[in-house]
Amino acid sequence: MNWILPEGASLGFEGLAAPLQIIRGLGGGTQGQVYEVDLEGERLALKWYLPACIARDGALERRLEASIRATAPNEDFLWPIALLRASPASRPLIRLRQESFGYLMPLRPTAYVGACEHAAGRLAIGLRQVLRACFGLADAFHALHLAGLCYKDVSLGNLFLEPGSGGILICDNDNVAVDGADHGAVLGTPGFMAPEVLLGQARPGADSDLFSLAVLLFRLLTRHDPLKGQMELAIRCLDEPARRRLCGEDPVFIFDPLDDRNRPDPIEHAAALITWPIYPRPLQALFEQTFCRGMKQPSRRALTGQWKQELARTLDRRALCPACGQENFQASGAPALCWSCGAPLPEPITLLLPHGAVLAAPDNELHAHHFDALAGEDLRRPLARVVAHPQDHRRLGLRNLQATTWSAETHDGRVQPVQPGESCSLAALARIQSPAGPIAVQRPTRPSPAA
Amino acid sequence: MPFPDVKLANRPLHFLYLCDCSGSMAASGKMQALNQAIRQSLPGMAAVARDNPEARVLVRAVRFADHAAWHIETPTPVDQLEWRDLHAGGITAMGEALKLVAAALQTPPMEVRALPPVLVLISDGQPTDDFAAGFEALLRVPWAQKAVRLAIALGHDADLEVLQRFIGTEPATAGRSPRRPLQASNATSLAQYIQWASTAVVGAASMPASRVSETPLEPAAGNIPLPDLPPTVLDLTDDVGPLVW
Repeated sequence: MNWILPEGASLGFEGLAAPLQIIRGLGGGTQGQVYEVDLEGERLALKWYLPACIARDGALERRLEASIRATAPNEDFLWPIALLRASPASRPLIRLRQESFGYLMPLRPTAYVGACEHAAGRLAIGLRQVLRACFGLADAFHALHLAGLCYKDVSLGNLFLEPGSGGILICDNDNVAVDGADHGAVLGTPGFMAPEVLLGQARPGADSDLFSLAVLLFRLLTRHDPLKGQMELAIRCLDEPARRRLCGEDPVFIFDPLDDRNRPDPIEHAAALITWPIYPRPLQALFEQTFCRGMKQPSRRALTGQWKQELARTLDRRALCPACGQENFQASGAPALCWSCGAPLPEPITLLLPHGAVLAAPDNELHAHHFDALAGEDLRRPLARVVAHPQDHRRLGLRNLQATTWSAETHDGRVQPVQPGESCSLAALARIQSPAGPIAVQRPTRPSPAA
Repeated sequence: MPFPDVKLANRPLHFLYLCDCSGSMAASGKMQALNQAIRQSLPGMAAVARDNPEARVLVRAVRFADHAAWHIETPTPVDQLEWRDLHAGGITAMGEALKLVAAALQTPPMEVRALPPVLVLISDGQPTDDFAAGFEALLRVPWAQKAVRLAIALGHDADLEVLQRFIGTEPATAGRSPRRPLQASNATSLAQYIQWASTAVVGAASMPASRVSETPLEPAAGNIPLPDLPPTVLDLTDDVGPLVW
């Protein structure tokens, strides 16, 4: 790579009191290059634009300045911190003939990897983490849209995942603008663009974000593209005109209940056929809403709040197959078979909460929104977590993650305190009183098939 | 528990170098520069291939001098590619090279479904055989018609007219100049163009990048919109630099 900014050099920038040391180049593309930099001991990232990119996008500087003033919608965005122009003394060290600028942003921790690693099947990640990442994505766009902004260029390339936790980071926030203000040149990434934007009938905004968000969620959950089925197989050379037909002129969802022209091929599109049935019906319905009626009617697409709610509920329905250990997401009440090995799933212990129910499976968590109807879904601060007993993994307990003591009541009416950090066995308990609210423990009404 | 062991469906993306190995390539280190440029570009190309799981990038190369022959005949995944040096000597059988590529782009051996192939022709001189016949044979093959065709002229003696015919004439569109062969006058610019073709163009052909409104979306704009050429990054070692400071 030919680096525009000299690695190792200390450069002065207008408005920055201290010089910025260019540690190393991290990457580059057609827009510009990204560097790891050091500002008075703090590691940050600096994106430096190519003059051609600035020339093409007249509103770029104005948009960045507005974003910097507005500050990040939540902590999942690698949001611009400051706009930088080289000081006169440093100007000759920048290897471009034309004037250019860049912006500072937080540095992405190395544990976060590009979402395309997951799409390519190269990432060791679990279903719970993928669902948490999807929730994080819906939550981040919820915050962005509520702030009146839109992102415009949702794609796999702008998302990073932390496979251990399902944490996310969203980069390339330089197209963000006030919804409807249309300050910007970007249209989106083909394959993620809403049909009306691809066809040039609309400018990108919050409604087209909802389409792109659904594509990204679908791709994370299934490792497949929502529009690639039989109709894609009929295309020999997948070039621009073909993509335009497939994603713009005649887009058909591969699982459209009413239009079966684009069903997945059992061999070529096996990923979609294997993964789609894993997810509960209400979550599938949001995809149908966005990719069927919402395909041509942008206002009918599933909203960020709906995605948040259904993704959080899906995580609440997580149970482990006793035969193979794989994660399942059970519909309430109905007896079910494991999607992976086909074994019947026993009816699990359920934690009944004032607003919702959580199945007892290790790592499932209780949150404030389970107790307070007015609290939005938020997975960041769990109040309690289901844990397996360290010696006997079949025995499940509930760990108190709050700062206050719970009072747990057994079936025979005994009351036991549960200190912060302690866990209580679910087998013996009827209910728990926590400062957030009551937790009722419901045990299976039918015997488990294994018993 | 791990996510189900499923992978995204992908399509092959065939990338073919057509390298001029005539005797004149031996002059002023052009052959070595080309070998170096291609070898240096491979890690970047492998990174782009990794980032585009929808594409399976496969590389081949043809050399042409007195005759045309495969330098790399098996379509090779870029991360497994080892670039052996090309050697200069002979005349410029460019037409024969195009016929060789035309045969390779027939189905079969080409897959029924693929991404648009990328053909990169690098030459420093004039064809000494029947270029027209080779070019006609090439354009009769549907995959060659769909291919992204790029040409790099090495030095000042390259036949720009022939290279222009190879890439086709595309009229100037709004905000964009018509496509011309890339002219590499030194090793640095050659390396930049090779890097651009093997990374930015491969990226554009395998998974579309962000579109800006200035990029024409109409099908008439060609089957793959080409990314911006690499910026002219000032090479400070080439520059005399400021005289007084």
